Amino acid sequence: MSNSKTAAPPAGARKRRKSTSAWLDFLCVLPALAFLLVFIYYPIVDLVRISFTDWNLIKPQYNYVGFDNWIWLFTGSGTKYLLNSLKVTVLYTAGELAVTIIGGIIFALIFNRMTKFFGTMRAIVFVPKYVAMSSAAVIFLWIFNKNTGILNHFLGILGIAPVDWLGDRNIALLSVLMLTGWRAIGYGMMIYLSAMMGISKDYYEAASLDGANAFQRFKSITLPLLSPTTLFLFVTTFISAMKVFQSVDILTSGGPYRSTEVLVYLVYQYAMRDFRIDRAATIAIVFFILLLIFTAATMKVSNKNVHYDS
Amino acid sequence: MSSQTTTISIAKENASAIRRRKILKVIQYVIAIVVTLIMIFPLYWMIVSSFKSQDEILATIPTLWPQEWHPENYSNVWSKANFAEYYLNTIIMTAGILVCQIVSGVFAAYGFSKGKFRGQNVLFLVVLGALMIPIQVTFIPLYLMCARWNLVNTFIGLMLPEMVSPYYIFMLRQTFMAVDDSYLEAARVDGMGRVGVITKILAPMCKSTILTTTLVTFTNGWNSYFWPKIVAGTGEKTVLTIGLANLKNTFAGQSTMNNHEIMAGAVMAILPVVILFFIFQKYMLTGYSKAAMK
Repeated sequence: MSNSKTAAPPAGARKRRKSTSAWLDFLCVLPALAFLLVFIYYPIVDLVRISFTDWNLIKPQYNYVGFDNWIWLFTGSGTKYLLNSLKVTVLYTAGELAVTIIGGIIFALIFNRMTKFFGTMRAIVFVPKYVAMSSAAVIFLWIFNKNTGILNHFLGILGIAPVDWLGDRNIALLSVLMLTGWRAIGYGMMIYLSAMMGISKDYYEAASLDGANAFQRFKSITLPLLSPTTLFLFVTTFISAMKVFQSVDILTSGGPYRSTEVLVYLVYQYAMRDFRIDRAATIAIVFFILLLIFTAATMKVSNKNVHYDS
Repeated sequence: MSSQTTTISIAKENASAIRRRKILKVIQYVIAIVVTLIMIFPLYWMIVSSFKSQDEILATIPTLWPQEWHPENYSNVWSKANFAEYYLNTIIMTAGILVCQIVSGVFAAYGFSKGKFRGQNVLFLVVLGALMIPIQVTFIPLYLMCARWNLVNTFIGLMLPEMVSPYYIFMLRQTFMAVDDSYLEAARVDGMGRVGVITKILAPMCKSTILTTTLVTFTNGWNSYFWPKIVAGTGEKTVLTIGLANLKNTFAGQSTMNNHEIMAGAVMAILPVVILFFIFQKYMLTGYSKAAMK
């Protein structure tokens, strides 16, 4: 009796049970997969389709017009807007990278003292990351105001003439970057600090015995050993900076004179303000391809040029 | 004789080195404090201004401390700008996103880590690939879908693109894979089904990852701006971030007149997340550094 119970069931039943089990396992992932296919992958296909139409949301119907939108974007009146927003996006991305990486390292060195007082200061420097961008942007919108903003008031005390932070086309992007930097720098600091703590003290002691000064120790030990962290910050910041939208939307709405019109904002304006989703879709595809290229490129770089502490 | 002089000179060198280290320490303290003050200033300015009267806000010489305290700014903005509604909408949207992501994420992560079926690894590539397609690219077709299904200005519409998170699935799968199979075998021998294994064994064992990832999801949902602006930018399903950004236009079109109330709104919008930050500081930092991977 007990023998028959422990004996293996017939091969057919086992196979059947195995396939039911596989089916149930598959059922676990099916809802998520179906969702991703319908709401993340299919829209890419649809986007390509829309780019070959003359779809204007105001009009009830649309026609397929071949490559018209692509011609408009690359050889027509759309080219200068695309190039402009590419330039703005590159400048913005470079700025955010500089603040996060260079600023992050500098802040990590400044706040690198493991006392309670410094811990509190670190928490304060880090907290802007958790302030929603919308709240941060309305605060900065007022701080940057040419007439009533506190920043110009402080500059006035120092005898500096008021600056039109958001209305001057040469400064507006810098102002947007100041808001970004305020939120990002503490994050860069925290990531670098936790990496620095992982570096063995032995390296520094050995270097000191060999007569290396603080700067030499930083240059030859800290920086190389932080390169995986730098790469991590570079890749993640790069991709998120290319998608910037909210700070631009609240602070400058892409202006003045398109000086802060980043790629996503260009797409947004064609789609939601002008209702020209055909043109918006075309630019969105270009944006997506750029994202993919940069992601692939950074992945490739990440396999070289990085020192790892064994 | 010569050995004596060397000891003295070493002692001298040590003394000067100690003095130099002390000076450096002071400099570091000064710089750190100044930097901290600059970093906290925008938040300080927001909180202080939110308690000022309108006259004080409009004064030509700004005050660093309110002359009189006006907590009624908060109730004003609450009633004038429908903040109660924004709050409710944000809570419903965020809660909906959380529930959908957790349920779909936990099951999918189980299937990809502990399940066995054909094409498992290929199908997981579908999840990984989805990480590289941001909403900023797909929002036009998604908006058209919502328009077709009458989901514009609805909660379902707000939640739609966030209901399943490839990032959530990815994170949980990594953690589930680290759990030893023998636990699951033991549970199955006891006659436990998949749902039981997931809710009673895997989920409790991976509590901290689930908590961190869920915190990131919560913050992202609460602070989300782009998609809510597209699908419910104006209308009765406005969320906090959008409502707050709209404040600069709604008060009679004068952006500078009501900054005390806008600041009160800004404080109210960030309060839940900042409170969470202080409670779960440790989890949120690790969560963010992992989240940035996506």
